[in-house]
Amino acid sequence: MRTVLAFRTILPTFTYHRPSSLAELLELKAKLGKDAAILAGGTDLLVDMKMGVKRPPHVIDIKSIKELHVLEYKEGSGLIIGPTVTLRELETNSLLKEKYPVLWDAVRKIADVALRERATLAGNIANASPAADSAPALLVYDAKVELTSVNGSRLVPLREFFTGVKKTVMKENEVITKIMVPEPPAGAKGEYFKAVRSAEDLALVGIAALVANPNNPAERVVRLAYASVAPTPVYVKEVEELFKKDEPLNKLIKEAVNIMLSKVSPISDVRATREYRLHLVKYVTAYLLRKLLGVK
Amino acid sequence: MAETITIRLKVNGVEKEVAVKPNERLLDVLREKFYINSVKAGCLRGECGICTVIMNGRLVKSCLVLAPEADGAEILTVEGLSRPGKPSVVQRAFIEKFGFQCGFCTPAFIMAAYWIVENMPNASEEEIKEILNSMICRCTGYKQIIEAIKYAIELKKQA
Repeated sequence: MRTVLAFRTILPTFTYHRPSSLAELLELKAKLGKDAAILAGGTDLLVDMKMGVKRPPHVIDIKSIKELHVLEYKEGSGLIIGPTVTLRELETNSLLKEKYPVLWDAVRKIADVALRERATLAGNIANASPAADSAPALLVYDAKVELTSVNGSRLVPLREFFTGVKKTVMKENEVITKIMVPEPPAGAKGEYFKAVRSAEDLALVGIAALVANPNNPAERVVRLAYASVAPTPVYVKEVEELFKKDEPLNKLIKEAVNIMLSKVSPISDVRATREYRLHLVKYVTAYLLRKLLGVK
Repeated sequence: MAETITIRLKVNGVEKEVAVKPNERLLDVLREKFYINSVKAGCLRGECGICTVIMNGRLVKSCLVLAPEADGAEILTVEGLSRPGKPSVVQRAFIEKFGFQCGFCTPAFIMAAYWIVENMPNASEEEIKEILNSMICRCTGYKQIIEAIKYAIELKKQA
C-alpha cells in the first residue's frame, strides 16, 4: 500500500488559505486545529503530502503575513528570526556568518540551494525530524521558540521543544511566531560537522560544537548538540558543566566523549548502522573538541 | 473541494490569469496552462531538480511550489532565454562544450547555469558544483556541464 502511495503524482485535495495578518492566522488555527497544516517553504509538507504521509484538509500559507518575515539582530539581546525567513536568506546574511557561525554553518549544509530558497528555519524546527541540521546549532546557542495562539504567546526553550520523532510541545492551535537566538558568549567559535554520503543528503550524524574562552576554566564555555543519533535532537548539559572543571583538557575531552556515548541511542537505517553512528559520535566529538579547544 | 483559485503569473515575459486548483503545482500550471514543456516532472519530491525554474530571480524546484503560492510571480524558463534562431550565451556554451547527453535534464541545468552566470560572475568550480548539487543528470555528464558553465561565464564577460 505504501509503495502505491509513493507513486502518487497528484497531491491530495485541500482548502487553501492565505491569511494576510497574524490575527487572521491565529483565528484560522484556533478553528481548524490539527486539520490545518502550516505552509511556509513547503519543502517538507508537500513531500509528505505527495508520499501520502500527510493529508491535511486545510493548508494555511503564511507567506503573505508581513509581520512574520522578520530578521533582526540587536547587540546584547540577540537574533530574532521570523517563521517565513528562508534558509537562503540566513545563509547569505553576513552578520549571521560572523556572530552565529555554528548556525550559519548548519544552515548552508541543509539540502541544496534551490530547496534553501524555499525552506525556512522555523519549518526545519516545527517538522521535528531527528535529522534536522539546524536543531543542534540552535541548541548550542540556547535558542527559544515563541509559540502563539489566540490565547497569547509563550516562550519555550528549544531544549524542551522536541518530544519525539516528528513530535513537539506545540499545541493544535499554536504556530511558531519567532525563533530567538540569544547573544553568544563573547569570543565563541564553532562549527557544525555533518557526516554525509553526499552533500544534499540527510546527516548520518550531525554535531554542533560551540567553544568560548578555552584556556580559562572559570569562563570556559563548551556546548555540544547532536542530530540523527536519537528520536530527538540531543543537547547534553553535563558536558557544559564538565568543562568548567580546572583539569587537563585532554582528560575532559575523553570524559565528554564518554558522556556523549551514554546519552545517544542511534538506530540502524538505510544511511548507516547504529555501530557506525556511534563510531562517528566518538571520533567526531573528540576531533571537534580538540580542534576548537586548541589541543594537539 | 473542487474550488478553483485565479492566479496571475508572468511567464517568460507574458502575463496571464489562470484558474488553478489549490493542489496543482507550479510545475503543472507551467506545462498545462502555459504549454512550457521544458519543465519536466521527475521525482515530484524536490530531489531530482528536473523541474527547476527561476521564480522571482531565485532558483526553485517547481514541484514544491503550489500554484496558488506562485500568484503574482515572475517565472523564467529555458523558453524565455533565447529568441528564435538565436541561442543565449548559456545555450551557446552548452552546445560548444557538449553540456548534455540525452537532454532530459538539460533545461534544468541551463536554468541553473543562467542563474550562476547572472548572479555569480566570479564563481569557482567548487561554487558551481555546490549550486549544481540541487539537480541530477542521470547520464552523469557533469564534467561537460561544468565546463559549459565556466565557458558561459567567459562568454558573458566578453560580451
